[in-house]
Amino acid sequence: MITVSGLRYHYPETDRPALDGIDLSIEAGELVGVVGANGAGKSTLCYALTGYIPHFFGGTMEGEVKAAGHDVRRTPVSQLAADVGLVFHNPFNQISGARYTVLEEVAFGLENLGVEPQAMRARALQALRATGLEDLAERSPFTLSGGEQQRLAIAAVMAMQPRVLVLDEPTSQLDPAGTRAAFEVLRGLARTRETTIVLTEHKLGWLAAFVDRLLVLHAGRLVADGPPRSVLAEAVDQPWGVGATQFTRAVQAARLRGLVAEGTMLPVTLEQALEVLR
Amino acid sequence: MKLELRDVRFRYPTGVVALDGVNLTIESGEALALVGENGAGKTTLVKLLNGLLRPTAGTVLVNGEETRRQTVAQLARFVGFVFQNPDDQLFARSVREEIAFGPHNLHLGEAEVRARVEQALDDVGLGAAIERHPYDLAVPERKLVALAAALAMHTPVLILDEPTIGQDAQGVERLGALVDRLQAEGRTLISITHDLDFCLMHFDRVAVMAGGHILADGPSPDVLRRVDLLRQAQVEPPELVQLAVGLGWATMVRTPEAFAAQLAEGRN
Amino acid sequence: MKAEAPRRPSGVEALHPLTKLTLVLVAAMAGAALPTTLAVLAVFLGLLVPLAAWGRCLGAFLRTCLRVLLPFFVSLVLIQGFFTPGPTVLMHVGPFRYTLEGLQVALLFSARLLVGLGAATLLMLVTRPDALMRALVARGLPNQIAYIVVTALQIVPTFQARARSILDAQRSRGLETEGRLTVRLRAFAPLVGPLILSSLMQIEERAIALEARAFSRTGRRTSLVALRDTRSQMFLRWVLLLAGLALVAARLVLWRAA
Repeated sequence: MITVSGLRYHYPETDRPALDGIDLSIEAGELVGVVGANGAGKSTLCYALTGYIPHFFGGTMEGEVKAAGHDVRRTPVSQLAADVGLVFHNPFNQISGARYTVLEEVAFGLENLGVEPQAMRARALQALRATGLEDLAERSPFTLSGGEQQRLAIAAVMAMQPRVLVLDEPTSQLDPAGTRAAFEVLRGLARTRETTIVLTEHKLGWLAAFVDRLLVLHAGRLVADGPPRSVLAEAVDQPWGVGATQFTRAVQAARLRGLVAEGTMLPVTLEQALEVLR
Repeated sequence: MKLELRDVRFRYPTGVVALDGVNLTIESGEALALVGENGAGKTTLVKLLNGLLRPTAGTVLVNGEETRRQTVAQLARFVGFVFQNPDDQLFARSVREEIAFGPHNLHLGEAEVRARVEQALDDVGLGAAIERHPYDLAVPERKLVALAAALAMHTPVLILDEPTIGQDAQGVERLGALVDRLQAEGRTLISITHDLDFCLMHFDRVAVMAGGHILADGPSPDVLRRVDLLRQAQVEPPELVQLAVGLGWATMVRTPEAFAAQLAEGRN
Repeated sequence: MKAEAPRRPSGVEALHPLTKLTLVLVAAMAGAALPTTLAVLAVFLGLLVPLAAWGRCLGAFLRTCLRVLLPFFVSLVLIQGFFTPGPTVLMHVGPFRYTLEGLQVALLFSARLLVGLGAATLLMLVTRPDALMRALVARGLPNQIAYIVVTALQIVPTFQARARSILDAQRSRGLETEGRLTVRLRAFAPLVGPLILSSLMQIEERAIALEARAFSRTGRRTSLVALRDTRSQMFLRWVLLLAGLALVAARLVLWRAA
């Protein structure tokens, strides 16, 4: 569903490449997490997968990106949007401003896609229910809190039912309950609708619990790609700046004291940690 | 610099009661974290402490004086506030000017202002960005500029609203070290946070809020081990608490090193 | 402008937006064309005021109209009264003569202004701008223009909300906002700066957000909200438009003097 070959990208008027040779292949229905230090290229990758790079940001791009059957470099963004959705970093600026109620805001994309009104209403309401916003359907989007706006952005893109959904730190403003709900919605989409989902995050614990595959970006390069546990266990010895869950660090500290065997793979979740320690 | 809320009730003009009978005393030099779901009243509470909001009922005292009798700008000398959205305050042409703004409002001499600006940038690790335009920086870095701007005012009390959002591992570590250092200097710190692990590691005291009330208030290892209470407040327990509880431990640990130490003791 | 969705559509709100637009346009045309003060006032009292009452916004309507009109009215009465030559002098103030003819000119001007203001105010109070835009887009207005108008109208409430946050943030850094003029002037940059700068930053991200909703897509668009239009309304619009044009023609041909 997503193939990236030899992707290299420079933002306009910069010397250092933001992405420096990415090769990647993601199947339909996969839920993939992307981690890395700030500045490693996570947001850039999100824009490259959805066509904003190169169409919106200019700059120089080499290599190929294919998503949902489109060659991202050739298809204009307006056409891509139906199949490849993007929820990007800043929740405050993702309201279109064209609509006066939350429900209409979610339906806005569907109107642009020419979806029939009845189906549109059903899809919009379903997206609001999935993100816990159904009570706010008649409110003005501008009166929502940061967390609510973030959920609104997710709902609005979800309602368009893209085959690929890319999200850049979608839970930054959400409290733990909201974060859980967001991850559950995404997992549901991947499992039931076979939506291919790529999301960048700093919250390692949540990623470890929900995604099947984790990518690590470091200085514009893809340095790790695999199951969360092995990737994050490797990351503690690398200068990638990815961090670690407390489960990992606790067992790592225990290992330093000789309380845990040297060769043991470090855990990333509670279950794994308890297993290692018993 | 003691802070007190006595029987405080706060009602927004829309009719929403954000705080419904809150009693809280923060002694000088304490580090308090406020946790709870969005809408629990955390932001309202901290805004009462620097005078942005006045209580609908009850009293708020800063250093023994009621906040009702002081302006926000007057209280700003004592209570610094770092907001969640840095773009609400960035207006200067350079990071240097931005950070100097607060100290200039305090009518300090140029040499003093310069020294504070450099120190504050050092504290947040952005020394290299001193001449850059704030909006040329990425959002997490702008948050750090906002923090530096508050640090430069050297207020005895510092309020942080979700300081770790958007920061990477190194950024969180740096913030943790900064919080520890400020505490060691004797400053009073109050932070709203959803990062319970950060909270457990760096804050000695935690207050859990829900529905405009404080459900629990005490030493962080004691409060954060009450898993049912946290679930009631829609908050997940810190990972180290989950681990300790999973291992059947009676005593909580606050850092991975402390965990390993306690594990060693248990094994012996 | 209405930023919140109406809870239950009142009589006027249920009208098609183009009908409302036509009504106020024709009222404005009548206000500009009719020759006497009384006739113009009749348009205000006989058309605009009842519409406002029907739309349950009479209070806001009258307040806005009168509040905006008042300074113009006062200056018109003074300037036209003293500086329009005419035979009927009402009073002397020093070397200046206040004439009845001047007063009459001022009253007519003010009445026309009142109708113009009333028309614009009424439109803003009883029409949701996005409904009006939908109606115009359905008749061929380019999507982009409709979007620009709707967001421009949203600017004020958005700015107001942000201005409050910015004010809070800067006060918390010790910015004094009350007191002598110099104090207030110094507060200008820290208050206006973030508003303008972040709004400019927002433009790029807003554009991306729009693209993500397939805004630039060419092809058929649908509408979540169906705007109810009836035959009687369409007929009414044509009649009104013709009446308006007739009035303007009469003004140009018959009522030259006024």
